[in-house]
Amino acid sequence: MSHYEAPIREPLIFGDKSYHDISVDVAAPVEGKANKLWWIAFSIALTAFLLGIGAICYTIGVGIGVWGLNNRINWAWDITNFVWWVGIGHAGTLISAVLLLFRQKWRMGINRSAEAMTIFAVFQAGLFPIIHMGRVWNAFYVLPLPNALGSLWVNFNSPLLWDVFAISTYLSVSLVFWYTGLLPDFAMLRDRAVKPFQKKIYGLLSFGWSGRLKDWQRFEEVSLVLAGLATPLVLSVHTIVSMDFATSIIPGWHSTIFPPYFVAGAIFSGFAMVQTLLIIMRKVSHLEAYITKIHIENMNKVIIVTGGIVSVAYMTEFFVGWYSGSSYEDYTYLSVGAATGPYWWAFWSLITCNFIFPLTLWFKKARTSLIWSFILSIIINIGMWFERFDIIVIDLSRGHLPSSWTMFSPTFVDVSIFIGTIGFFFVLFLLYARTFPVIAQAELKSILKSSGENYKNLRKENHE
Amino acid sequence: MASNKKYWRNVEELKADSSLVERLSQKEFLEEIPTDTFLGDKDNLSSSSTTRRDFLKYVGFTTAVASLAACQGPVLKSIPYVVKPDNIIPGVANFYASTMADGTDFAHILVKVREGRPIKIEPNKMAGNWGSTSARVQASILSLYDNNRLRGPLAETKETDWSSLDKTLIESLNTLKANNEKIVVLTGTTASPTSNKIIANFAQTFGNVQHIVYDALSESAALDAFFEMYGERALPNYKFENAELIVSIGADFLGDWQGGQYAASYTKGRVPVNGKMSKHIQIESNLSLTGANADKRIPVKPSEQVFALINLYNAITGSNFASNPTPADATIKIAANQLKKAGSKGVVLCGIQNKDAQILTNALNEALLSEVYDFNSPRFIKAGNDEAIKNLVAEMTAGKVGALLIYNTNPSFTLPNASAFNEALKKLKLSVCFSMTDDETAQNSKYVATIPHYLESWGDTQFQAGNFGLMQPTINPLFNTRQFEESLLIWMGKNTTFYQALRENWTTSILGTGTWNQALHDGVFKGSNSLDLTYNMMEVASSAAALLNQTKSADFELNLYTKISMGDGKQANNPWLQELPDPITRTSWDNYITISATDAKKLGLENFNVSNGALNGSKVNLKVGDAVLENVPVYIQPGQANGSIGLALGYGRTAGMQTEMMTGVNAFALMQDLNPVQTVSIEKAAGIHEFACVQLQHTIMGRDEIIKETTLDDFINKPKKEWNETPEFSLNHEEVSAERVDLWEKFDDTVGHHFNLSIDLATCTGCAACVVACHAENNVPVVGKHEIRVSRDMHWLRIDRYYTSDMTNEKAKEAGIFGTGEMFNTMTIPSENPQVAFQPVMCQHCNHAPCETVCPVAATSHGRQGQNHMAYNRCIGTRYCANNCPYKVRRFNWFKYANNNEFDFNMNNDLGKMVLNPDVVVRSRGVMEKCSMCLQKTQLSILTAKSEGRPVKDEEFQTACSSACPTGSMVFGDINDKQSEVAKLTEDVRAFHLLAEVGTKPNVMYHLKVRNTEES
Repeated sequence: MSHYEAPIREPLIFGDKSYHDISVDVAAPVEGKANKLWWIAFSIALTAFLLGIGAICYTIGVGIGVWGLNNRINWAWDITNFVWWVGIGHAGTLISAVLLLFRQKWRMGINRSAEAMTIFAVFQAGLFPIIHMGRVWNAFYVLPLPNALGSLWVNFNSPLLWDVFAISTYLSVSLVFWYTGLLPDFAMLRDRAVKPFQKKIYGLLSFGWSGRLKDWQRFEEVSLVLAGLATPLVLSVHTIVSMDFATSIIPGWHSTIFPPYFVAGAIFSGFAMVQTLLIIMRKVSHLEAYITKIHIENMNKVIIVTGGIVSVAYMTEFFVGWYSGSSYEDYTYLSVGAATGPYWWAFWSLITCNFIFPLTLWFKKARTSLIWSFILSIIINIGMWFERFDIIVIDLSRGHLPSSWTMFSPTFVDVSIFIGTIGFFFVLFLLYARTFPVIAQAELKSILKSSGENYKNLRKENHE
Repeated sequence: MASNKKYWRNVEELKADSSLVERLSQKEFLEEIPTDTFLGDKDNLSSSSTTRRDFLKYVGFTTAVASLAACQGPVLKSIPYVVKPDNIIPGVANFYASTMADGTDFAHILVKVREGRPIKIEPNKMAGNWGSTSARVQASILSLYDNNRLRGPLAETKETDWSSLDKTLIESLNTLKANNEKIVVLTGTTASPTSNKIIANFAQTFGNVQHIVYDALSESAALDAFFEMYGERALPNYKFENAELIVSIGADFLGDWQGGQYAASYTKGRVPVNGKMSKHIQIESNLSLTGANADKRIPVKPSEQVFALINLYNAITGSNFASNPTPADATIKIAANQLKKAGSKGVVLCGIQNKDAQILTNALNEALLSEVYDFNSPRFIKAGNDEAIKNLVAEMTAGKVGALLIYNTNPSFTLPNASAFNEALKKLKLSVCFSMTDDETAQNSKYVATIPHYLESWGDTQFQAGNFGLMQPTINPLFNTRQFEESLLIWMGKNTTFYQALRENWTTSILGTGTWNQALHDGVFKGSNSLDLTYNMMEVASSAAALLNQTKSADFELNLYTKISMGDGKQANNPWLQELPDPITRTSWDNYITISATDAKKLGLENFNVSNGALNGSKVNLKVGDAVLENVPVYIQPGQANGSIGLALGYGRTAGMQTEMMTGVNAFALMQDLNPVQTVSIEKAAGIHEFACVQLQHTIMGRDEIIKETTLDDFINKPKKEWNETPEFSLNHEEVSAERVDLWEKFDDTVGHHFNLSIDLATCTGCAACVVACHAENNVPVVGKHEIRVSRDMHWLRIDRYYTSDMTNEKAKEAGIFGTGEMFNTMTIPSENPQVAFQPVMCQHCNHAPCETVCPVAATSHGRQGQNHMAYNRCIGTRYCANNCPYKVRRFNWFKYANNNEFDFNMNNDLGKMVLNPDVVVRSRGVMEKCSMCLQKTQLSILTAKSEGRPVKDEEFQTACSSACPTGSMVFGDINDKQSEVAKLTEDVRAFHLLAEVGTKPNVMYHLKVRNTEES
């Protein structure tokens, strides 16, 4: 039996589930009617989204001046939000690709939603580099298109250009990987659908999946290949995003520690966001049997590790700022000046949210508490937003020449756009939760007999 | 010439009356068009069908075409020269020499004219020190295109024409003459021989005429003192280039003191040459630009300035006049000894507006036999008489004046008792205001005889004995205006134009052997100085006693001053000047009281930064005598003497102004008895004022390498490493200068031109002429108070101003708090009486530019001549370049600044847009811009030389800032030309690059400041 799993391992699927039960449970949200709660949540998200669209239109119509930026702090909430969303978008691929390669079966309960979250988050992230441009209508200049503008070509030295490639590659690979996984599940929905319209739609979406052995073989192979392709992307995307800062010469940005530190931070915040979403979803969509405490605890363990890496990076930054003896370094992000300067509140929010609170996860009780995991996941994402805000705004506000020191304060438009992306994200996620199979049921079925609670109990009774 | 050739179509045409030719000429088309056949074929026609699709296509097409045809694009008028004027070549600028003399600012200038439009003021290098252009002179070009200018003469606020105005006025004037009523001509200082002559003629014609000169920024005391001592009502001239020791008591001679224009000669002695430089001690109340440049500055209250002057006099001459002790006494003792030692190389200056104080100062300079003090070629740029204007108001109120003609002055705004003056003015039988705008005085006068701007006018000047200048029109009058002198001539019944009168006067009494054409070409003329003044020895004891007697100490003494930007408020409607940050406070669009931190704490006044960094401050009510100014903002000023406050004049204009430009409070209301020093009581008012301050951190934060300076002693005696250390990095296990460390292969930049700009911090006085020159040359937009407040200033060139702090790196190390929060937080606080340093910063045109590598679309890249270019069309506005710029010199177009009612400044009206430089593009919203090293100017020089087939001369390469710099602190040129001045400056021991350790390799270099601090 290839899928033998030791009985001392805790089961990954609770309850007396059969294959059919899994199909029914996963298809339930799609086939059922939306409840009131969903409609309320959707209305709020849609309102926020529309507010964001309004704010974006206003920005494009009038000018970037409607934001709170100035000639010394040229980026603030825009790029903070960009990095924050990209960071959030890291967990999905890590869960589906890296854990696939490491044969972590527990990923099967969460990978679909984690990856959906990734894609939706990358949408939000991609929005900011576009709308932050002074002349959005010329945004295509960043693409290396053959053109009639003379010998003009993009500047391959610029980390912003690397971003263009990194983000678009990441988005396309993630999207393909996600969609590949969805094929058998769409087919399941197609087969169960009674209404012809739904049947037609899911039929189209499932690309004519027939469930033949060849289909499954190809499916497995493509998954493995895509996992191999996606794995380096997990590391590369945020490495490149970090280079926006690391390759610059601004004190506080110019830091060689940034690539690994950013990647760890991204996974840290990504897992936190997965926690936030799944803890709610398992309850609302009655998926407690598939997204279990083990999943939550495992993700918390990843958070401990990545949070630890991030904390060590903080300490290193602080130490190097002081040790360098350079007053430029010593006055910047995560340094003496930041801790005591006008942005002390942002500095201490970061330390509290990202370093102190996650320490509680060292206790098993906290790690397995759903409520605490949920609260902490939100705290971590607030902390990670502040981390990016600190890096960008504190450093720019305290540049080389003290004559240019100033501060930043967001306007209504800055705030609206951020809220708008959160709204957009939830609009997408809520629609997804009602129309997509939110758990990779086909994969899950493959471990039912090895990791299902009742099968394990059966084996225990039979002393296998 | 039209051609008479005829082309034949066939031989038939050769025949005289061929019927064929006749027949053909009747036909439009040679061959028949078969319409009849086509329409006659009924069968075919009825069977052919237009399908529904075709029909829709036709309808769609015609609708689209019709609506397209109905759309009309914006009409841009571009009118070609039908008959091209001789001297105008489109695209080529003409320069005309002229002179600015508006009663406050006096300078000989060159006017750059493009296609008939004056667009830029340049200094007239032939005129020596008088050719320097200050910020206000540079900005005056925009006042020409002021949209609030009057379009024609007014009679009782209604538009009128000149002939009816002349008729009424000649009648009135003759009636007044017949009744022998007094006519007063009230002018500002004109310094114009011809104008004064015409006024004198006018006085003769109309009998009972008095000419009163009134200056808002009066030097009446100094004039009276000089008159008493030398018998001529003029101001002494000071030759600072001869000075070794300058002791100034309250004289802001780099500002508006005695008409200014001393910066060039002052800075000649401020660079150490052969181990020698001048020493400058300043004793003053407000931190003035002059005080900021001093080697030693002692803040004292205005009353103590008087005691200090008497004490200094006593210490030098050994007299024993009664006085009081002052905080400056120790320095005065040293200064007196040094002055005695310096002898004729020393000079004492005094800014106290008191005749006795001025007599004492002049006597001191006489006692020193000062070579600096030049009384034999005095200046005529101030002629105002305080007593006369005081009398005039009294006489007007008493009804003793029949008519008042007011020219070149705005007493309804600048008089402290303006309301009394206005009341009396309205009651006069005749009041005529000669004004360009509907200003306060114009609004209170019956008639406004609208005058042209000086760039549309003829005129002449004599700034200094023997130093003549001509003013010539550089554009046809834009509006229906007439010069003051022209009006006088017409009303006198003279049949000559002012131009004729001017020319005649010059030919007969000024030119001598010179020619008019040459004088007009040069703009300046060295005439004879017929004055031969001698010092009438005076007994100064009575002056000293009177001076002491008149001086009262008070808890708070108000010292009114003028800003570099606003002066007396004549050009208050000029957005460039409103937006120009004050060099000291770096605040624009406002005036405010300056108060010391100690006093502010006592009164519970504060300055603080809000969450976006912008500066806010408390407000106070000021009371001087009966006059009250309410809600005056408070700016806490390091270096302000305790017990004194400063307040800038010239703000608070409301008449003939655009709403945006009505800023600040009118401090003239507090200038009781025309004295700028007043006893004042301060009371905290409710509310918070929002400042537009561009520099929010005032100290250098221990980053001493940013603005290097040293003392004269160290400069002479210590090795360069100790005061100008070049940062070093390790390369191949060897310490080399940071400049040599390179990741890339170096481009060969020794071929062709390679431009560098050198800025000498020792001679930069912070006067901001360069800032306005850059504004004008490069079409830099004005963004208004709010945008300045939120750090969105667009100036391509800024002048950073740093104060010293009591906390330094050395002190922190001694105290064991180096690198701690305590050190940093103390460092942010400037000293109570700080040393001040100025540093002009523009794009440094780095050879390793951090901005260039990060632009994703290569919109900013390096030129072969060293400049860092901006391709505006390519820019998509990611602003990454601005973030990565360590100098923070890049400026983003946050909004559309031209043709936008939200930014209703000169780029929002057709008149104001005439000042735009056609060689520089107006940037659109969403693109980054910055200093281009005046690419358009260097390119022009190169092309001119090329077309003339010669190498470019060193002095031809100029940027707007280097050309405008009055002190020669900025030098621009080609370092590949080894003979050029700038190439030599690169080798200077004082040269350093800003933030050299970052490795940007800038093409702008600085020369460090040397302070002469020796105390012996």
